[in-house]
Amino acid sequence: MDLFDIVFYCFALIAVGSAVVVVFSRNIMYAAFALLFAFFGIAGLYVLLQADFLAVTQILIYIGGILVLMLFGVMLTNRVVDVDIKTGTLQIVPAAILAAVVGGSLSGVFYSTWSTVSGTPSDVATTTPAIGEMLMTSYILPFEIASIILLVALIGAAMIARRKT
Amino acid sequence: MIEQLLSDLSFFKPELTLVVTFLTAILTDLVFRRSPVVVAAVCLAGFALTGIFILGQNGEEALIFGNMLTVDAFAVFFKVLITLSAILVLVFSLSSAELNTPGRSLGEYYSLLVALTLGMILMAGATNLLMIYLAIELSSMTSYILTGYTREAPDSSEASLKYVIYGGLSSGIMLYGISILYGLTGTLDLYQLNQVLATGDINDFTLLIAGVFTMVGFGYKISAVPFHFWTPDVYEGAPITITAFLSVASKAAGFAVFIRFLKVAFVDAGAGEVAGGFWTMLQGFDWPLMVAIVSVLTMTLGNLVALWQDNMKRLLAYSSIAHAGYLLMGVVVMGNEGTAAVLIYFIAYLFMNLGAFYVVMLIANKTGSEDVEDYRGLAARAPFLSLSLSLFLISLTGLPPTVGFIGKLYLFAALLNSGWIWLAVVGGINTVISLYYYVKVFRNMYLREDEEKKGRIEVGAAQLATLVVLLVPIILFFFYFPPIVEFAQASIRIFGTP
Amino acid sequence: MLTEFGRVLIFFIIGAVFVAGGLVTAWLIRPNRPYPSKLTTYECGEVPIGDTRVRFNIRFYVIALIFLIFDVEVVFLFPWALVYSQLGWFAFVEMVIFIVILFVGYAYVWRKGDLDWDRPAPKIPTFEKGVGVREDHLLEEQVVGS
Repeated sequence: MDLFDIVFYCFALIAVGSAVVVVFSRNIMYAAFALLFAFFGIAGLYVLLQADFLAVTQILIYIGGILVLMLFGVMLTNRVVDVDIKTGTLQIVPAAILAAVVGGSLSGVFYSTWSTVSGTPSDVATTTPAIGEMLMTSYILPFEIASIILLVALIGAAMIARRKT
Repeated sequence: MIEQLLSDLSFFKPELTLVVTFLTAILTDLVFRRSPVVVAAVCLAGFALTGIFILGQNGEEALIFGNMLTVDAFAVFFKVLITLSAILVLVFSLSSAELNTPGRSLGEYYSLLVALTLGMILMAGATNLLMIYLAIELSSMTSYILTGYTREAPDSSEASLKYVIYGGLSSGIMLYGISILYGLTGTLDLYQLNQVLATGDINDFTLLIAGVFTMVGFGYKISAVPFHFWTPDVYEGAPITITAFLSVASKAAGFAVFIRFLKVAFVDAGAGEVAGGFWTMLQGFDWPLMVAIVSVLTMTLGNLVALWQDNMKRLLAYSSIAHAGYLLMGVVVMGNEGTAAVLIYFIAYLFMNLGAFYVVMLIANKTGSEDVEDYRGLAARAPFLSLSLSLFLISLTGLPPTVGFIGKLYLFAALLNSGWIWLAVVGGINTVISLYYYVKVFRNMYLREDEEKKGRIEVGAAQLATLVVLLVPIILFFFYFPPIVEFAQASIRIFGTP
Repeated sequence: MLTEFGRVLIFFIIGAVFVAGGLVTAWLIRPNRPYPSKLTTYECGEVPIGDTRVRFNIRFYVIALIFLIFDVEVVFLFPWALVYSQLGWFAFVEMVIFIVILFVGYAYVWRKGDLDWDRPAPKIPTFEKGVGVREDHLLEEQVVGS
């Protein structure tokens, strides 16, 4: 076990541990802050996978944007901080069966394709210029469509959140 | 590369027109805040121009923007279908009492309708999994907003929220499936995916899981069982014009992208044309059986649950689930005849389903109710509307003398010719079941008396003209169906496949 | 690349150690003599009114939503900026299209008044019967809660 592995397990522990807190915390504020650490752990894993652009994006959008939005959402709702947010568990048998089937098949996928994965990723300097070039040439259409999607999301969000006039 | 991209723009005119229309519509709304009719006019002009450009693409074949999008006869067919229904829905919206309430700003409604159309048209031509995902996402996102457009109606917001949760989950699962496919093959391009899969050097189990996960996204778009749960609530809660649009155009776009995904990625391109026009599917995944099972579940559940519905919108929602099941029967055939049958059925479905929703809207405009019980004695109050609704429902059942019969005829013929006898039998039984709940509406309209003796329901000349535009094809294409059959058979050509 | 981010990690670790070290040292060496007025929110003597958890204005949420959209836009600008010098005017035009599309959204939220901060009109303190009634604290509460 070298330094790389140790760092990997640290980040994995942060991500999974925080995710467990998000799910099982009874206070929605604690859950939201645990989500921050979960996102941070994932960003660390991206770095270890040589995906630097993705890691920065993760921090910028998920921690800088979406988490702030979620905290505002929490604070918007009156008194939700003190209220026990967990409700009773419903449909436990079908849910357990579905979770077992999906979990089992995904484990099967990992198990059956494990041998085909090659060892360590090649050491690339940075992925951002390559992503930039792809975005500007062969992925130009998805890039521009993304702006349309963002525009639709902006209009929809502003319209729904707007007070009735 | 740059020259290539610039020359590709000439194949991109319809989509480009829609983008420009969308932006212009938003800006027009900002300038003419008090008169949404101006925005509607801009959108209508944009749709018309788009339609002209799409018709101009007839016969062209190209892969554009780095294999992201294709222009071929198949895509052009669905683009025509989607644009036509967009124009009709826009015209419906102008006379919807539900939407045109005082104080509501309709500018965003019309603009978003254009964005929704753009998303669907991109779905019809996408040949890259990333593009497919983005197109589905664009159309879904717009649908969520439009579903919740009548915010003051509580069921509208509820429908929108349910739609968001269900749509988010489905598209997440689909994205996961796509990522597994990418990890497995190293490509997002459907044509390259096909080449990698053809080598046979693929883990079958992983392919199965990835395929099923990706199917979730398509199944959600066409509201196939078991991904249909959103449909009744969304169709009931959304403004009726949006319900009509989603039930026709969204479903058409979903089928377009699903059939293209199957045909391009999973048909053995090297096998060439097989006698009878059947596709040679690549080994490793039994697509026909899986689609057949989904089809049976979809139509049976749709029809059985529809029996208990007493809200017209909900009834038509379950009937549209059942129709997704019928249409999937055509996909099961995995051949040219089956695909042509799906396309023929879609032409019929466009007119009959939009027509049925339009009549329901016109009645709700005057009575404020969509309850089947309130249709009692309607024949006396609105003879023409009742007659039109009857014809649309007869067509939905698939009985002569309507175009729905032609659609069903070709579907069942394709099934019998390919040996799917049991599926044809199930489809037949389902048609009989569906007759029962459509008859319930006739019975209320013609055979039962309204105790309260309400007055006649009058509709304007423009509405009557729109209704006639929808009625004429229903009858005309029954007696003179070669044009639509030929159009459909000419449109099954998918770029780069045998 | 990993070594670059390794420095960032070391930075993070040192930062965390610094904060934890400060807190632990303070906890070890500080005297522990609490008394009621020291434990109040404002030790200077101001008595807080009401709950700290007021309901936030929905405007914050709208602004955060709008921010999120433009945050995503900025993320797309980074890779573009890196290759701009190679691709030249073509990349420039592409980015202009991208930004113009989003700018329509900006114009939309501006014109529709989603960026306006409609504060309630401040209450001017009034004098009744010659006795000044300070209502400053009410004013403050409204601004926070509006």
